[in-house]
Amino acid sequence: MSSRIYLDYCATTPIHAFVREQMFRALDASFGNPSSMHWAGADSKQLIKQARADVADGIGCLADEIIFTSGATEADNLALFGTLRLFPSDKAHLITSSIEHHAILHAAQLLERDGYSVTYLPVDEHGLVNPEDVRRAIRPETKLISIMHVNNEVGSIQPIAEIGRIAREYNVRYHTDAVQAIGLFDVNVDDLNVDLLSLSAHKIYGPKGIGALFVRSGLELAPMIVGGPQERSLRAGTENVPGIAGLGAALNLVRGHRTEERARLLGLRKYLIIGLQAIGLAVIVNGLEEKTAPHVLSISFVGVDAEMMLIRLNGEGVAVSLGSACNSKSIEPSHVLTAMKLPQEQIESTLRISLGMPTSKDELDTLLDVITRVLPRVVVQ
Amino acid sequence: MTNYRVCVIGGWCGNRLYMVAEHISELLEKEGYPCHVIGHSVWENYTQPPVANLVLQLLPAFTEAETGCPVIMIRPMLVDLDHPATIEKVLKQVQADYIV
Repeated sequence: MSSRIYLDYCATTPIHAFVREQMFRALDASFGNPSSMHWAGADSKQLIKQARADVADGIGCLADEIIFTSGATEADNLALFGTLRLFPSDKAHLITSSIEHHAILHAAQLLERDGYSVTYLPVDEHGLVNPEDVRRAIRPETKLISIMHVNNEVGSIQPIAEIGRIAREYNVRYHTDAVQAIGLFDVNVDDLNVDLLSLSAHKIYGPKGIGALFVRSGLELAPMIVGGPQERSLRAGTENVPGIAGLGAALNLVRGHRTEERARLLGLRKYLIIGLQAIGLAVIVNGLEEKTAPHVLSISFVGVDAEMMLIRLNGEGVAVSLGSACNSKSIEPSHVLTAMKLPQEQIESTLRISLGMPTSKDELDTLLDVITRVLPRVVVQ
Repeated sequence: MTNYRVCVIGGWCGNRLYMVAEHISELLEKEGYPCHVIGHSVWENYTQPPVANLVLQLLPAFTEAETGCPVIMIRPMLVDLDHPATIEKVLKQVQADYIV
């Protein structure tokens, strides 16, 4: 096995040294319960206050508008359940898209089971939602629109601000899952016209188990976890102090590098595509180049079994990701690629290669070498 | 009982692999060819081919040169356990090679 190469940054990222340092400081110095009324509690409380301000600065909102959660899944769930459950099920409607993360889709399905109505908007062949479809789907009882910022499988960048304008026009609450956007794009809640926004630390070189939901001032939400008064009573439970410190540090870290990192990754992405074509491979890049995040490359290798390729790449120390998953009865093609109406053979030959801060040209050269080597062994006969 | 061994090779989806293996086992028994049918996940081992008289692959893992026995791609069974052309191919091979 050659040296290990990680190219699955959409799944998770390694903790950056700067973040780790802030977390260790929090672990060492702030062991107190932030709710306690003595100095130990005050230390932790101060640390949370600073991290909350850092996160708020990172997305252009007030510190009080940040609710810390266990991650983006909980933030997404809180946005959906917290909004819809304020209303009787027959008087509340949700609009979302067919390419959302399962944290949204499965929550929407549960709401449907409880009697709420949900519209799942289609996407075009590039994985993009049409804002006019959103407008057409709005009903008098629509209480929430939830459309992700950057798709995690193909990297399509949704017209968030435009959809936000439509939501404002109809006075409908608007949520976006910005997990894949926050590391590389200038996410400002006012510019995007969003009322709720989910983010996660572990996608931006922070720790797992911590995320946040931006909740615009004045919005009411029904809590999912009740108990103590933490997080404005919207998320009870003693705070994950080192995690929160890590999230604040991670956001500070990425904020300082977004523009140059975006340009660097865009260059690497193009380099990789040209390299793959130079091997003589018939490849299809999924998504529209100018509307795709630079760290995501969803690519179909014509005539290749993507799972076997992934296994062989893994055997050579290269970590990438697949466009399909299995359930108890069959191999299930990616719901995103399916929504884009890609042919079954193309879906089965699709890999997601995602780039991050540590990714270098040398790593991509090694990836190209490994692909050249394993290719004859992964062709579908 | 026969010494004829059939190995079904699959990937990440272990459930499907063992569903296919069980289905093949039942089908061959029904057709009068009771066999040892085993499953092999290439996620656990993709370098060492299994020892078998017939290898049925859900994904292109091994060549006949590596297994030393006939290899049949049964990929359509990922979505259709009774895929007629694939079943026919498997039965034809077993009929030709079966040993008691």
